[in-house]
Amino acid sequence: MSTSNHSNPYFEQNERLADQINDEALQNPDSPYAGKFVGIVSGRVVVVADSSDAVVRRLEQIEPDRMKCYCFEAGIDYNRVVEIWGPFA
Amino acid sequence: MTGIVWPLDGGRPVMELVLIIEQTLQRVTRKLLADTGAGSLQAPFHLLLDEDDCLLCGGTPSHSVSLGGAYTGSFLSYSIDVEIPALGFADNLHAVGISGPVGVFDGIACFRFLNRFTYGNFGVCASQKSVIS
Repeated sequence: MSTSNHSNPYFEQNERLADQINDEALQNPDSPYAGKFVGIVSGRVVVVADSSDAVVRRLEQIEPDRMKCYCFEAGIDYNRVVEIWGPFA
Repeated sequence: MTGIVWPLDGGRPVMELVLIIEQTLQRVTRKLLADTGAGSLQAPFHLLLDEDDCLLCGGTPSHSVSLGGAYTGSFLSYSIDVEIPALGFADNLHAVGISGPVGVFDGIACFRFLNRFTYGNFGVCASQKSVIS
């Protein structure tokens, strides 16, 4: 589906839950989510696994509409700005 | 174990990745700048790709990320299937969707991804080496 997340009504709901889970994982290394990949469908956690590949394969089985899905790595500081300098010079 | 070397394009190292168009299952090759200075091991993504590629290839929405430098602001990212036939590599990676190509390249392969491999004409990683055959 050629729909950007900008126009994906499920994205905000999924990212809000992802932020809650990620905050928990960052504050508590013993959190069951810390260091794991988490799959969300329509605002609900449906899979937690050790790899992004495992999460995406499971999401494919659960929900055919990818725009309802969301996969992220818990325990990462997503607010940190990553500098990318690109192919200049 | 046989090593491979970085292909060079205009004197810069590149990686050729294969993406799979979701609707047609057509495999398309994308030439990415291999930039070990892009991000760190802790970066929340492996690649920068044209957002259209992320969507056409069925990328699963992932967390927004903040970039600075050549790309400034908050960007959407996607979990996307990637193959490197020359290495027998296939995995799901996290790619930041950017608007359009990166100069003459189709995107950037960042350090978190490059650190998985050993190249004959580049540094050898201590821990996360992939077997190259």
